[in-house]
Amino acid sequence: MMTQMVLRRIGIGFATLIVVSIIVFIGTSVLPGDVAQIILGQSATPATLAQLRSELGLDQPGYIRYFIWLGDMASGDLGTSKAGGASIVSLTSGRLGNTMMMAGIVSLISIPLSVALGLWAAMHPGTWLDRVITFGTLSTISVPEFFIATILVLVLAVELHWLPAIAYMSGDETGWQLMKALAMPLLTLVIVVSAQMIRMTRAGILNVMSSPYIEMAILKGVPRRRIILRHALLNAIGPIVNVIALNLAYLVSGVVIVETIFAYPGLAKLMIDGVQTRDLPLVQACAMIFCATYVVLILIADVASILSNPRLRHPK
Amino acid sequence: MTENNTREEEVLAKLDTFDELPDAPPKRRIKLSWVGKIAVAVVVFWMIIIVIGPSIAPYHEMDMEGEDGFLDAYDNFYLGTDYLGRDTLSRIIFGARNTIGISILATLLAYCIGITLGIAAAVKGGWIDMCISRINDSILALPSIMLGLIAIAALGSSISILIGISAIIYATSVFRIARALGQDIMVQDYVEAAKARGEGLWWIIKSEVLPNAAMPLATDFGLRLVFVVLFISSLSFLGLGIQPPASDWGSMVRENLQGLTYGSYASIWPACAIATFTISINLIVDDISAKSGGSLAKKMV
Amino acid sequence: MKDKFRPQSGDITLSDLDPSDRSLVENAVKKGFSRREILKIMMATGVTAATANSLFTKSGEAMASTPKKGGSIRMASNLHGPDDQLDPRLFTSTIDYTRGRATYNSLIRHSNELVPQAELAETFEPNSDASEWTFKIRKGVSFHDGSPMTADDVVYSMSRHLGEDSTSVIKSVMSSVKEWKKVGQHEVKAILHSSNADLPTLLGLFQNKIIKNGSTGEGNGTGPFKMDSFEPGVKSVHTRNEDYWAEGANLDTIEITGITDPVARVNALISGDIQMATVIDPKAFRQVEEAEGVTLLSTPAALQMGICCLKNTAPGENADFVKGMQYIQDRERIVKKILKGKGSVGNDTPVMSAHGPDFCSELAQREFDPDKAKFHFKKAGISGAEIFSAPVVSGVQDAVLLAQANCAKIGFDLQVKKVPTDGYWGAVWMNEPVNVVTWNMRPTANSQMAIQFAPGAAWNDTYWNNDRMGELLRLSLSEIDPDKRHAMYCEMQTLIHNESGMVIPAFSNINDGISSNIMGMPSVPLGQLGACEWPELVWLA
Repeated sequence: MMTQMVLRRIGIGFATLIVVSIIVFIGTSVLPGDVAQIILGQSATPATLAQLRSELGLDQPGYIRYFIWLGDMASGDLGTSKAGGASIVSLTSGRLGNTMMMAGIVSLISIPLSVALGLWAAMHPGTWLDRVITFGTLSTISVPEFFIATILVLVLAVELHWLPAIAYMSGDETGWQLMKALAMPLLTLVIVVSAQMIRMTRAGILNVMSSPYIEMAILKGVPRRRIILRHALLNAIGPIVNVIALNLAYLVSGVVIVETIFAYPGLAKLMIDGVQTRDLPLVQACAMIFCATYVVLILIADVASILSNPRLRHPK
Repeated sequence: MTENNTREEEVLAKLDTFDELPDAPPKRRIKLSWVGKIAVAVVVFWMIIIVIGPSIAPYHEMDMEGEDGFLDAYDNFYLGTDYLGRDTLSRIIFGARNTIGISILATLLAYCIGITLGIAAAVKGGWIDMCISRINDSILALPSIMLGLIAIAALGSSISILIGISAIIYATSVFRIARALGQDIMVQDYVEAAKARGEGLWWIIKSEVLPNAAMPLATDFGLRLVFVVLFISSLSFLGLGIQPPASDWGSMVRENLQGLTYGSYASIWPACAIATFTISINLIVDDISAKSGGSLAKKMV
Repeated sequence: MKDKFRPQSGDITLSDLDPSDRSLVENAVKKGFSRREILKIMMATGVTAATANSLFTKSGEAMASTPKKGGSIRMASNLHGPDDQLDPRLFTSTIDYTRGRATYNSLIRHSNELVPQAELAETFEPNSDASEWTFKIRKGVSFHDGSPMTADDVVYSMSRHLGEDSTSVIKSVMSSVKEWKKVGQHEVKAILHSSNADLPTLLGLFQNKIIKNGSTGEGNGTGPFKMDSFEPGVKSVHTRNEDYWAEGANLDTIEITGITDPVARVNALISGDIQMATVIDPKAFRQVEEAEGVTLLSTPAALQMGICCLKNTAPGENADFVKGMQYIQDRERIVKKILKGKGSVGNDTPVMSAHGPDFCSELAQREFDPDKAKFHFKKAGISGAEIFSAPVVSGVQDAVLLAQANCAKIGFDLQVKKVPTDGYWGAVWMNEPVNVVTWNMRPTANSQMAIQFAPGAAWNDTYWNNDRMGELLRLSLSEIDPDKRHAMYCEMQTLIHNESGMVIPAFSNINDGISSNIMGMPSVPLGQLGACEWPELVWLA
């Protein structure tokens, strides 16, 4: 049953990848200008444009280029960037590493933190600390993240000089130096991501708490702490894991603003750069990575929620 | 330990049967806490501003009447001037129409698209469900900022494009909720009964599915609205917000950020405007879902 | 050739000036003012030209002492991405130019005063009518991989800009050259289609770098820095070339990266994470000026804030519409409030005082006059127009918004269409009837005007084809009599001012931020950070 489900979902994942590649292809081909025009910029003339287009293979019709890309992709060849000529593998591998490192550290910090805080708030609803947590998270998710990031930079980097304003990595840092270099984006992302997860954890638990069987357990005199940890948490794991999975997907693909503000060379910014230079193979490669990440994370979340829920684990 | 677990499961199973006992849905009116009431007041305040704002604003949003940029409050410039010497207060008042108006329209549209397709997928099933779901997954899997970037670069950044693209992006989440709710409801006894009575598909949707899905969807509306406000702000970060000289709060925060270092509040005020509106909506949502209970949180992801 | 940049000895010392004047001069030197500007400042303090001249060199010396070796600089440009290039003929952005400057050399480079100076060429001589130029190539120069640089490399590199299959971005600029010919192992000849006295100036263009025969650049040049690593859209690292043929660079390493967000770039500069930042937004001038340890470099340049009204279509084909657009520009406010004083008023021609004697200062300044604008719009019978705007140069978007607000007051509906910069040059510029434009400053008034206003030119971005303009552009190149020459330049600027579809309300300075301990910054006004000439010249105090 479980294996069947996983296999089915992997099949669906591949279908989604194909659809994504088509959407990306159509999306980038309706953009004004092509990569040759972007490379030559203001200096383009019809003659140089025509020449560069034929050098880059842009003189072929779009759908043929798509199928060539699809064929290469199927045989494991990601191709080269149209804009700079570098291989897509070399362009994306370093960036993927950076993105995964950032996402990894942020989730290591924020997942335990938010589950703990969310649980705590749910165990003591109505106390002043619960109110502080609720209002703090609410405020955080209610202003644009670039505003939060800029305030942090102004205070911690420009005024106090505690941390660097950008996440610049020269490549030979010690672990401690690296942490310091990454501290600002890490801090921003932990704040943004945790706020969401704390809220959902708290809401998920309180929601289960209001269901009749918990009410019954309360009436039976089971201690509140025990109810939350043994019954409510177990039942709330499904939604919580889902929220975590969506936030992880966001950390991989959606952090373009944080990457821009801290000049952090991650994948999301690379994809935006790719769109802006009309570099189709590059955009496609990033889209494939994002889509695969999303599919895998959602799959893991679903498996986790099935495993955590006896009713789903043993369907009638 | 194992024994313990088994016993717990037994208890849970018993409780489940209890859960499934026929139970008339509670028809109590939603009573808001005092926090909720303040939140409603704030939202109402902004709605009034949207309607009468342009007639009470000291200046037009495009007027560069200030002596200089980033000035503190003086004369008629009650909140100071922005980087170009425009009146910050007037721009916030005019901006309310754009920021809130666009977000509400986009969210409504997202709901129309999401619910229609979601219920269609749930009711029809089969390959229709398959197709819609795959396209939906693909849009969800791509970063929303990038979708916005492509759409705006290709089609231009008019208000209708902004509404359209935000609607499509957020329709994906609505679709998931609507589809899940629809599937749940379709297997309920009363729907089976209606089918057995020979009612048509449209009747079932209209009379059974929609009313039962309405409450969870309505609460979700508030959250979605907040996401759209923030999404449009993020687009303004990339310079893709609404067309000047029209003001929107996100762009105002963005274009005046540099003033923070000189102690200018020109970016703080619009950030406050965003925060008051979005926090209020969230508080109302919190209040309603706390009162109405239900399996909202589960559905919302 | 580097003496232009280095102090020379003189008799009067800087300490002879009174303290307030001295700090004025010191500041000017520090801020990278050009020699001409500093001379102007010094004359204003009451010294004679001759004394000022010798004082200038002394002040440079006092400020600079001797260049020190060592240290490193991290520079952040405003644009970078996967399209970063090492192939000089595809260079289009400051980050490419800077890497090019650090890695490669040219035959000719520009001094601060825009005088062409020999670099890899030891000498350059025209024949009698400047239709052939002979270049003696420096001996003993080698590429970073050790192979010697010879005439073959020069002919190969320069020929890459010519011919049918060339994709060079300066192909049309270099098209006056028919052929590059090897004369000897260290001598090449350029044979031109027609005479061109400005050829050496063109050879100073960012794209005219000498690379190894058969290569596409690949970071192997003869320049002062060797390239250690290069990641497009991330960064590049360069270390000093100890075998450099000239005196050599002072810094041990330079790192070149990009920070696309303008707020982040300034914050990184102020917090010391980078030592150089290109393109400081006018909103941040005060922040940079007030911060400790950083300096705002503002170099006056002909960086035009232009609005093109296409003459081949409505509404630009109507001369009165263009007049209306010109009169509605509140030029003083643009310079004072939008550019915060770091710019100069434009007179609807691309030539300005930085171009020297060819600038027509007697042409009456067009002033902000809403009544006249209203009159002309009415006469044109047009009540509204649409202008496409992208942030191609500091302040241009805001200038357009100002024009819009002023148009609204006279009942003219100017719709602003804000579009992204990417794709702008291909899809909007030269396509949409009214759009914004900018051009990097060109070294001569002639080349500045020719690029946009020569009839039928590839980048004639208002489609204004005037035969007299074309004739004057040609004739003025060979006119030797200064008065006649000036008359010709004035006639050209008057033609553009009155008849073209060009609205140029202002010129922006080139504004960059650097750490205050960076000495010896060049101030070539042809691009950001002294036209990217800095890698070989600067040192840390």
